[in-house]
Amino acid sequence: MTQKIMLMLSFLVFYPGFAGAQFKGEIVGQGGQKFPIAVSPLKNLGTAGDVAKLSEGLADTMGYDLDLSGWFKVLDRSAYIEHPQNTGITLGTFDFKNWSTLGAEGLVKGGFSVQGDEVTVELRLYDVYQNKERIGKRYTGKVKDYRRIAHKFVDEIINQFTGVPGIFNSRLTYVSTSGGRFKEIHVSHLDGTEKFQVTNNRTINLSPSWTPDGRAVLYSSFKDRVQTLFLFELYSGKETKFSPRAGRLISGKVSPDGKSVAATLESGGNSNLYLLDLNGNVIRKLTEEGGIAVSPSWSPDGRQIVYVSDRAGSPQVYVFDVASGKSRRLTYSGGYNTSPEWSPKGDRVVYTGRVGSRFVIFSINADGGEPRKLTSESSDSEDATWSPDGRFIAFSSNRAGKYQLYIMQATGENQRRLTGSGGDDTKPNWSPRLD
Amino acid sequence: MAQSNLGYWGLVFVIGLAMGGCAPSTTPKPEGPSSSAAGAKSPAGQQPGAGQGRGTKESATTPGSLDALRKGQSTATPASSPLKDIFFDYDRYDLRGDAREVLRANADWLKKNPSARVEIEGHCDERGTSEYNLALGAKRAQSAKDYLATLGIAGDRLSTISYGEEIPVCKQASEDCWRQNRRARFVIIPSRPAS
Repeated sequence: MTQKIMLMLSFLVFYPGFAGAQFKGEIVGQGGQKFPIAVSPLKNLGTAGDVAKLSEGLADTMGYDLDLSGWFKVLDRSAYIEHPQNTGITLGTFDFKNWSTLGAEGLVKGGFSVQGDEVTVELRLYDVYQNKERIGKRYTGKVKDYRRIAHKFVDEIINQFTGVPGIFNSRLTYVSTSGGRFKEIHVSHLDGTEKFQVTNNRTINLSPSWTPDGRAVLYSSFKDRVQTLFLFELYSGKETKFSPRAGRLISGKVSPDGKSVAATLESGGNSNLYLLDLNGNVIRKLTEEGGIAVSPSWSPDGRQIVYVSDRAGSPQVYVFDVASGKSRRLTYSGGYNTSPEWSPKGDRVVYTGRVGSRFVIFSINADGGEPRKLTSESSDSEDATWSPDGRFIAFSSNRAGKYQLYIMQATGENQRRLTGSGGDDTKPNWSPRLD
Repeated sequence: MAQSNLGYWGLVFVIGLAMGGCAPSTTPKPEGPSSSAAGAKSPAGQQPGAGQGRGTKESATTPGSLDALRKGQSTATPASSPLKDIFFDYDRYDLRGDAREVLRANADWLKKNPSARVEIEGHCDERGTSEYNLALGAKRAQSAKDYLATLGIAGDRLSTISYGEEIPVCKQASEDCWRQNRRARFVIIPSRPAS
């Protein structure tokens, strides 16, 4: 027990709740202890003053991410003994005892220097037990984008601990009322920063989802009166309207290869799945249901589509095989199961099911079996979406009154509310990892 | 090993999200007058003169639900409208007996006003997920259209649209409210159908 091993292993070995499948980066916690880590404010290494408050801003952003992950306990900064400006950031220029005394087992230190509108940031992760450095990175970017540097480094820290990088350089797109009566599409970071409003047409815009390259959002809108899909490119502002003659488009998801769209098209009251090209032209009809087939979501290999059908008399989740055109039923328990999304890891499907008069998030093995209930039926939780690493789920819940966005680990643990818009925030869709 | 790994990492900040083609976000105006469902609940024939061959000119003032939402007006069907709403059971789109009765009265009015065209709106209560409810609303509107067709109303006078759960007429989370929101509305389109 006295023999110290490297930080990554000490985390896995001394916290048995997290042990097991560590080599695959799978963290299946059972309410296991969190890893205590200190995140020091950064040292100003340059000659310019810290006008943008980067010293604390970078530390705050890293602390928020580490805490949100559910795997770390970020120690309260007010207890820190060392002043960041009076100590160094490299080995031998500060005292590990000042951190072990606080109970820290990990320590993030760093420095920055500002030149004009650019900042260079140097960040290091230390193993307080072994008095060793585990990660050292230097980043350069615009001062106004400093948070992205913090997210990048947290993703590195999580890679160090779990073998899989974190997901903090990703975003959510979602529907928000922002306190008004219209529903508009928004994009923001998990901490609510870098907000961007995709639509502002004062109608109803729904079902936003990312393209696999993270460069565009596909959403449905009533802005031209008849509901259809729009593909909005975030960097250029270019938008493509889908205008299929066959009917009205309710929702769609771009395929993993980025070349086609699985969409719900309604005609004559019947809703079926169609394959469309990226201009909205019909490639072929996928389902032939006389009732309702909605909410397609691709398997990561693009060979199957999970969706909702009412063919059994109530909405249930089915899996459509693209090559054979055959569907198999996935959910059997409960009388109302909708909004499925396939995990990026491919192994599970998350969906919304009704329990009594409430709506609850479940996940189920993509091959079937017993669903796992992830949220409580004391309130409504809906519209679950996977993080790009498949280890987290974001969803919308009215547990605190109006609908707001939350994230949790894929096990349902560590449910945390995200910073909202002030209105009802619903239908989140998680981006791929972004740079 | 990690110590020597202090790599230069030039981040490419490509996500200039607040750039071209994107209107700056403006704060939407607060909610308009809260909708009352009083009109929607009125049974057919309660209003004097309803179904008695009122002209399309007068009744054409009833806006569609999306237009009403945009303008901040009530999305309830006015009591004066000659065409009454019909209501559905939860997660159902088959027509109840009371709905058929209302549809027969609506068909009678349409026969007396042969130039009138109608957009049938399908709506749902807030429970369940929005995409499924959009499909369910389309089914409800189609059920009404199909029944009107069996009563002799030409299909080219009737169009359908689904708003799913997106434009409720009653906004409390109660069964009484949900019952009012599970509806089909009949919006008279003046002379020519909107594009």
